[in-house]
Amino acid sequence: MRLIASTGGKGGTGKSTFAILSALKFSNQGKKVLLCDCDVECPNDHLLLGRELQEPEPIYQDFPELDAEKCVSCGICSKICKENAIFWVKGKPPIFFEDLCSGCGACWIVCPQNAIGTKKKIIGKTFEMKINDNLWLLTGMSEPGIVETGPVVKEVKKRALELAERIDAEVLIVDTAPGTHCNVIQALLGCERAYIVTEPTPLGAHDAALILKLLKMMKIPSEIVLNKADVGDPNVIKGIADEYGVQVTIKIPYSERLIRAYSEGKLDRMVDLI
Amino acid sequence: MKIVVASGKGGTGKSMFASSLALLFSEITNVVACDCDVDAPNLGLWLGVTTYDSVEAISTSERAKINNEKCVGCGKCFENCAFGAVEKIDSRFIINPLLCEGCGVCQLVCPTKAIDLAPVMNGEIRIKKTKWGFPLVSGQLKPGETGSGKIVQELRKRADELSHEIMILDAAAGIGCPVIASITGCDYAVLVTEPTPSGFSDLMRVLKVVNHFSVPYGVILNKWDINPEASQRIEKWSGERFLGKISYDREVVNSIVNLRPVILSKSKVKKEIREIFEKIQESIEKECS
Repeated sequence: MRLIASTGGKGGTGKSTFAILSALKFSNQGKKVLLCDCDVECPNDHLLLGRELQEPEPIYQDFPELDAEKCVSCGICSKICKENAIFWVKGKPPIFFEDLCSGCGACWIVCPQNAIGTKKKIIGKTFEMKINDNLWLLTGMSEPGIVETGPVVKEVKKRALELAERIDAEVLIVDTAPGTHCNVIQALLGCERAYIVTEPTPLGAHDAALILKLLKMMKIPSEIVLNKADVGDPNVIKGIADEYGVQVTIKIPYSERLIRAYSEGKLDRMVDLI
Repeated sequence: MKIVVASGKGGTGKSMFASSLALLFSEITNVVACDCDVDAPNLGLWLGVTTYDSVEAISTSERAKINNEKCVGCGKCFENCAFGAVEKIDSRFIINPLLCEGCGVCQLVCPTKAIDLAPVMNGEIRIKKTKWGFPLVSGQLKPGETGSGKIVQELRKRADELSHEIMILDAAAGIGCPVIASITGCDYAVLVTEPTPSGFSDLMRVLKVVNHFSVPYGVILNKWDINPEASQRIEKWSGERFLGKISYDREVVNSIVNLRPVILSKSKVKKEIREIFEKIQESIEKECS
């Protein structure tokens, strides 16, 4: 099975559009395709295909829960927490700030009284749906307020690989979030090729360079998809492509029809564009 | 007064609008602009900034390293890492630096003290006195590093130290740690959306974070004319929170290609942005007094 990613550093360059159009193109060729929406903070692939998410499968993670009877107010948990999510004043039991907690587990491991237990909390959900005979979509979604969304993406990817096996997929397309941090890294892990969707502006070039740097560190071969190729200045992207030794292999022209289809959630009409 | 510009979805026009807001406020008071999108910082480009007066490398995270001489291969680190950063290769364990969050759990559970944590220089804070007279504080998380939320906290501290009446914060896309770190403690949020299903869905998601911190907000509709019917629905939904709409204009693209702020360009959106600016001032007066 091929495992490829649509990414780009900058937001709004057309990552999801490219991922969906590619998925539709492969599926029209008769290949079994799984599209995995790993932009768990703001997943949109289903909307662009005009679908509603149904039957959520929760993703759980352990978070700390204090047993006040066992706690001796020593404050060791507060000192060990690198996220500063545990507030402690001498002589008082600690106060846990869930907003800051990453669920790493340092506090319950270090507590000498075993006074910190764990409770399962939903950090996200996945939704599975069949789009057509050859195409499936697995959408990951984080719970609002969850700080670290990398672990959500990790579980979404795991479920995607299981689903891909179940449907005997020939291609798995991962649609990543914008940016270059943990949630994007988790999405890119294991991909054999990344398509960097960008636009011919200084913003596109700046952010494409950042993701190219990350992909180089991860040793993932990549190529550039230039969206709105005829708007702006293509030379700015050419410069970045040359610097990182990658090619601009796909150009998508500016298209009113595409913008319209996007805003109406009818991207399936646009598959001829790539 | 801290005003954050956020949207959930990327590419809706946050940085374009934040740069305009900083310029407009700078006509009447002391401003500091703060680019909190440390993954992909673009506010500088919208203000025509390509070089900085100062660049300071900072460390806001640590990373684990396994000492092979002391490691007995028990796998406790592997079992306990919440981030999947310990990898098993044959019978050995290694830390994947791209996934390690520096939480220290592996060090805590290691029975042979084979794991050390060391600080990582994971980012930069850059400051520039713009030619428009106000300073820009910008951060950059190095690609592949963790700790974006903490870099945001750090750069907000630097911005706070600079004399200002108004701080404009340009948040990243998404609703995770860097965005939470940008929204918390702000007095007002400007939420930028567009008339697409994804723009609206992501607005709902970022709104959950904004409401969680009880930050008053207003809504701006960018590129409204790409789908007037959808725009009308969002405007109606926003009710009193609606601050105004901005047209889709290819001249905006030209202004960024030429690194010229939009409100100093020839684009027709200049006038629309000024009207929204007036509305924001009224809204802030009402919400924050």
